Amino acid sequence: MATDLRISNISKIYPGCIANDNVSLQFKSGKIYALLGENGAGKSTLVKILSGVISPDNGEVFLNEKNLKLSSPLNAKKNKIGMVFQHFNLFETLSVFENLSIDANEDNKSLRVRINEIFKKYNFSIDLDVPVLNLSAGQKQKVEIIRCLLRSPKVLIMDEPTSVLTEQETEELFISLKKFCDEGILIIYITHKLKEVLSLCDEVAVMRKGKVVSVSQTQNERVETLANKMVGQKLAKIKKKINISKNKDEIFKVKHLNFYSDDPFETNLVNLNFSVKKGECLGIAGISGNGQNELFQILSGEIIAPDTSIIFRNKEIAKLNPKQRREYLMAFSPEDRISQAAVPELKIYENVALNNFKSSNFFEKGLVNEKKIKEHSKKILSDFSVNTDNVELKSQFLSGGNLQKLILGRELITAPELLICYNPTWGLDVGAINYIHETLIKINDQEKSTILISTDTEELLKLSDRIAVIYKGKLSKIMPSEEVTPGKLGVLMGGGSID
Amino acid sequence: MIKIEKRNDVPMALYFFTPFIAIILTILGGGIIFYILGFNPIEALKFYFITPISNLYGFSELLLKATPLCLIAIGLSFCFKSNNWNIGAEGQLTFGAIVGGGVALLFYNQEGFYILPLVITAGAIGGMFFALIPAILKTYFNTNEILVSLMLVYVSKLLLDYLVVGPWSNPEGFNFPETRQFSDSSRMPLLFEGLRIHAGIFLALAAVMLSWFILYKTYLGFQIKVSGLSLKTAKYAGFKGKTMILVVFMISGACAGLAGVGEITGPIGQLHRMISPDYGFTAIIVAFLGRLNPFGIIFASLVVALTYLGAETAQIFLQIPKYTGQVFQGMILFFLLASDYLLFFKVKILNLKKNELRH
Repeated sequence: MATDLRISNISKIYPGCIANDNVSLQFKSGKIYALLGENGAGKSTLVKILSGVISPDNGEVFLNEKNLKLSSPLNAKKNKIGMVFQHFNLFETLSVFENLSIDANEDNKSLRVRINEIFKKYNFSIDLDVPVLNLSAGQKQKVEIIRCLLRSPKVLIMDEPTSVLTEQETEELFISLKKFCDEGILIIYITHKLKEVLSLCDEVAVMRKGKVVSVSQTQNERVETLANKMVGQKLAKIKKKINISKNKDEIFKVKHLNFYSDDPFETNLVNLNFSVKKGECLGIAGISGNGQNELFQILSGEIIAPDTSIIFRNKEIAKLNPKQRREYLMAFSPEDRISQAAVPELKIYENVALNNFKSSNFFEKGLVNEKKIKEHSKKILSDFSVNTDNVELKSQFLSGGNLQKLILGRELITAPELLICYNPTWGLDVGAINYIHETLIKINDQEKSTILISTDTEELLKLSDRIAVIYKGKLSKIMPSEEVTPGKLGVLMGGGSID
Repeated sequence: MIKIEKRNDVPMALYFFTPFIAIILTILGGGIIFYILGFNPIEALKFYFITPISNLYGFSELLLKATPLCLIAIGLSFCFKSNNWNIGAEGQLTFGAIVGGGVALLFYNQEGFYILPLVITAGAIGGMFFALIPAILKTYFNTNEILVSLMLVYVSKLLLDYLVVGPWSNPEGFNFPETRQFSDSSRMPLLFEGLRIHAGIFLALAAVMLSWFILYKTYLGFQIKVSGLSLKTAKYAGFKGKTMILVVFMISGACAGLAGVGEITGPIGQLHRMISPDYGFTAIIVAFLGRLNPFGIIFASLVVALTYLGAETAQIFLQIPKYTGQVFQGMILFFLLASDYLLFFKVKILNLKKNELRH
């Protein structure tokens, strides 16, 4: 029987951001649909609404013209909407069969029979009695898919399914998805990988800033056209004057940066080489999860990568920890401002003391110099217009913008020669974003350098002198930002190549 | 349907008040247990909590039992505050007692003012060394310190067993499993004639003051605090994580070792099998009841010491086993964890039907 899923005028508003703005879409079985968009475009919110995890502020969902009341994941399951999340929801120590039988309403014998039927039909082979932790990422995903299939779903939603798969596993997944589609299951495929959209899907809906900006047949699209739609033809308004000049000194140089991790959710970095000149901002673009976390931690010294050379102001610093790197006048602003860059339970002045460098005298002969720390904290609060002057306040009571100002202020009190930021304006409101951007531009104006790792292309185009793109742990060539267009960035971020 | 939510803002005053609530609930719970066992609960509780400290001797016994608990808990607070779960203080206590006792036995027939300081130092070093084993395994081989420190407890207890029945047993002791008596120079000076309370209490008080200073006034204390709240932040700030793990385990082990040596040079005066009624384990409860705060730990060690004494009195007057002491200690921990849970989370009872109507 044909399935018809219609989303009508869905809106979801979070404080400070419109996640879904009047979204209407129509899907029919027999086709594979792609939902494409950057981080924060609203794809995940829409999917969570469909799977009943959150409820919309406005709008309705119709399945075969029946109005669905999706108030909980259980309801979504009853309505035969299956969902495979990017991160698996499996009990690692239980066996495959136990995982599948947890929420099944039938006895083990008939369940086993049904599972074996599914295996035969789709050519799956997984040992049902091994613990899930022994499976590869692709096999775990299959277990999730089987769990959905056992409920004979009408709709199957896949959220960025290939992010943890190998090439081989990706191919197998595509073959299965096409089979499901032939059998009448409606498939919605969420991704930011352009090539996958073109090779797998029939129709593609592009989302940007909570809105659906385009719906089209994939056969009429190319990587470039999709990239343009995804990133948008937005031009930076206050573009800073480009600082680049060929005869400036390179103050920071990375050679042969390699990193290998056993964790399937971490990304391996492959032979990264780049350098930063005095007074320059090097932007590193990319969709999140392509190695930015690992790169930031290696640059800050939280991870020491073997056989890598990092030269800063003519000194080899690859083996130094973050505190030692700070003494050489580097500063770091990590992505996770809430629980890494600062500790919410600590008072403001205690958080300031985290950037403890020798000349600060925050700790003299191993003792806390509370007076000095508080003086310094007061200065940061007023210099960086944080909206409090109470250094005894716990930092959990600061808003995101004020917390980020405090962190930047703390990192900048050493007058560092190089500041490395990772998504510095993530989740902030427009006013705070502008303030942070102005601060970053000011740093470059004072002949100090910055490395800006960001998933926000607009921000990168506005602030960077040169831009490179990181994709699956590899760095593209570094381009002067006047040669970069949003379209080019989009192609590189989606794994395509230019020239 | 019941929904559990995290509270955003927990008032500090209430945080330090919940241990008292836990103690009151423990007393009530104890009363109920006594009632079920057929005793008059008021009278039984009086035997348990009031009779033991109604005279000077009882009060001295209370301080005597609180001393090792306080010392060990102070040491443990360094570990627990920095997210290192040293469960093996009992083993560190035992090993400290073995090393300290070994030195005391060397001097069994000598007198001299220098002997006691040597014995005490040896005990602290012994405990420190024994705590270093789980710490080194954790930092360099990624082992779980909970398992390693716990298993080492049995290693040190069996070692003590072997020593007191074998090589160190008293040649004139008719094969009793115990060593010679230590010489007077190896014994802690008594504070009052006729009471067992000894100079070890000053070691405990010194540990309290010193730990307060280290935890709240030094860079090491700051690092311990940050690491306990967020390991990610500690890494980002560039603290030397491995060194810190070693240091907190050494402090913790030294305190447990001191407690052990305080027992054998204080009330016991020799080595035998039963040098500690599980002070090392009970001190974990003391540390948490005292909120890992040095002054809170003084208070908590007195409360928990009272459960040891009360159990002994109850055994004499009510003929119930002294292991009821452990029941009380267990109840304190249970009620403390329960009230903490309600402190940090709120329980909401949702009316499902109403909710569905709204959608």
